[in-house]
Amino acid sequence: MLKHYTRSCCGPLIAIAVGLMASAGMFPASAQEKELKIGYMKNPIQDASLDMAEKWAKANNVKLTRIPMAYSVFMEKVTSTLTSGTDQFDVIWHNDDWGQLWKKWLEPTDDVKGMENAAKWPLEAFINDDNKVTTVPMAHTVGTFFYRADLLQPNEVPKTFAELVSVSQRLQKEGKVKWGYVGGMSMNNTWFTFWWTMWANNCDILKPMFERDNAKLTAAKFEPAVTEPCHREIVEYWWDAIHTHKISPPGMTAYGRNEANAIFMAGDAAFTLVDSTHFGEFSDPKRSKIAGKVGMAPFPVGPRAQKPTSWNEIWGWAIPKGVPAERKKLAKDMLSTMMSDEAGQIEMWKKTGGPPPNVKLWPKLAADDKDFAALKHAVFDQTPITHSAYYFAEWPAVHKAYSDMAVAAISGKREDIPKVLADNVDKIRRAATGN
Amino acid sequence: MAPRGFLRLSEKSWFMLALIAPALLTLVLFQVIPIVVGANTSFRDWSLHDPKRTWVGLGNYAYVLGDSEFLRIVLPNTFGFMFATVLCSLVLGLLIALMLNKEFAGRRLIQSIILLPLMVAPVIAAIMIRWMFNDQFGIVNAILDVFGVAPIAWLTQRWTAFLVILLTDVWLWTPWFALILLAGLQSLPPEPFEAAQIDAASPWRTFRYITLPMLRPVIVVCVVIRSIDAFRTFDIVWTISGGGPARATEVFSIYAYVESFQFLNLGRGSAAAVIGAIIIVIFAMVLYRILNRFVEVSR
Repeated sequence: MLKHYTRSCCGPLIAIAVGLMASAGMFPASAQEKELKIGYMKNPIQDASLDMAEKWAKANNVKLTRIPMAYSVFMEKVTSTLTSGTDQFDVIWHNDDWGQLWKKWLEPTDDVKGMENAAKWPLEAFINDDNKVTTVPMAHTVGTFFYRADLLQPNEVPKTFAELVSVSQRLQKEGKVKWGYVGGMSMNNTWFTFWWTMWANNCDILKPMFERDNAKLTAAKFEPAVTEPCHREIVEYWWDAIHTHKISPPGMTAYGRNEANAIFMAGDAAFTLVDSTHFGEFSDPKRSKIAGKVGMAPFPVGPRAQKPTSWNEIWGWAIPKGVPAERKKLAKDMLSTMMSDEAGQIEMWKKTGGPPPNVKLWPKLAADDKDFAALKHAVFDQTPITHSAYYFAEWPAVHKAYSDMAVAAISGKREDIPKVLADNVDKIRRAATGN
Repeated sequence: MAPRGFLRLSEKSWFMLALIAPALLTLVLFQVIPIVVGANTSFRDWSLHDPKRTWVGLGNYAYVLGDSEFLRIVLPNTFGFMFATVLCSLVLGLLIALMLNKEFAGRRLIQSIILLPLMVAPVIAAIMIRWMFNDQFGIVNAILDVFGVAPIAWLTQRWTAFLVILLTDVWLWTPWFALILLAGLQSLPPEPFEAAQIDAASPWRTFRYITLPMLRPVIVVCVVIRSIDAFRTFDIVWTISGGGPARATEVFSIYAYVESFQFLNLGRGSAAAVIGAIIIVIFAMVLYRILNRFVEVSR
């Protein structure tokens, strides 16, 4: 019986196995088509950038395969691909947040034509040990202070933290908005409240302040700066904003970007601060009640600063080292064409609010486009005080420890803030050193 | 020479082995091997971005067990959540099962409606609940407002955030308890209930002294299975609170996930997972013994 059973099963099993092998590409196709596989995050800006790549691909008879991933799994997935040495992706989305983690797994991109037109400051996050850049910029991701242009004239926009409170309260009292400022505070949204105000108050997370050289940070034993007066002031500022002045919603400590954007786009808040890449969303009348009513301005400054700072980083494209030489060359050709595609970059800006990576385009674009002129004034004409992240391996743990500390301080009593900050110094230091 | 031992199995035994082979292979490939690989990782210096894979012995275990947050926050939260959700779901599920065990008009319709949460993916339910409890747009605050209650920022404080998570989990799992307990109720022999009726026993006494003791074996199985499942809950907590505010609702699986996939420290994350697995195995054995003793006593 078994022999009969085995014989009758063998034929179909072999047929299935052959079919699977063929579909998995184990047998070469008769005509080889050039192909580039791109691992990226599903996002309007990245899609717009890939639309530029698509034009190049069509002209060069290359098949472009888009492999979208969610943000929440992207870094883990791509990191494991890079360290395992497989060539699952020929080109990947790269972000300064994890710039240094991948430095030894990525191909230098200094030789990509058009890189001479990229801003130098944001590329510092992507330098490898040989002092070579490992990314090609796709778009700038810049923290932008957005305000309701239908409620305020440009000269009425707050220039200091104190004015942010007084103007918010005036608009609330006049019944024009429910809230003054809304932004994310929960883990990974710390930039949109605590951190921009921290930089705008001449402050930072670790000492030496504003230092991003890992050797110098290590020498300083990753000493947290959270007990410095400048730091206590910003935590107290947000405590007051929520509990005393009531210019921000009471639930803000739990907000991510979705909640903050929903409130701003519903017309319930006068101000927010977020990457300019959300400008496209704010301006979409199908999704936003404030489309066409959004202005951009420099960061309000804290009591310890004299002039506005800015937050200016990039998203980029990178090529894994494990990719075969022929496909590396193809990928570099593609990225080079994208860097010089002026029309494509302008279209990306108009469609999505993603600022072009070619800085030579900026003056021209600012002259033609009032929104870009506003963004240029708000961000690109200001000098960043430092980079918006740190670039050592334990940075995610430091970020989490910081976020937990800040949320705990805001959720407790105001008089306990100094104690909460002091109690967390050791946790942040241990997070930074991995102990 | 005649074949010995394993090879001497009868044709019937070979056939039976062939039948279970696919399930066994699946179990080995997708359960046993990953567990062995994970356990191996927990003894090594294994970060995702720079996998040195050097042997560190019990170093990762010492880190997790020496982490005051793990002991003071994560474990109490995990057990607190497990007890609360299992108890609430069991009580509500039993009430629903008792109700559905009686004949009334529209019973089938109500039965179908009550089972609806079982068809919703936990992540979808959690996203929905997060917005329902939003302090600005949430339906819950809108209803409370009708009764003059000031808006509550549910997710900004430990106990209110925990309550939201608990409500979601109970909402999702009560139908499961109801379904299994209803099947148990319908399989009970009618004679004891008829005898109780003849003796004019009250509904409460019938429930207390007949229904509940006879249903105990089913309850034991439900409680053990659901407790193990609740111990490893991840999706609901991650989506609703992310373990916040400030780690106040962090449970064991969030701890392991954050170590592994946010801090990219697979060694520590695996050690946390192995510690969790050991805890739940011991807990399940103890729980099963205690509950089993109840069943024995009640017989």
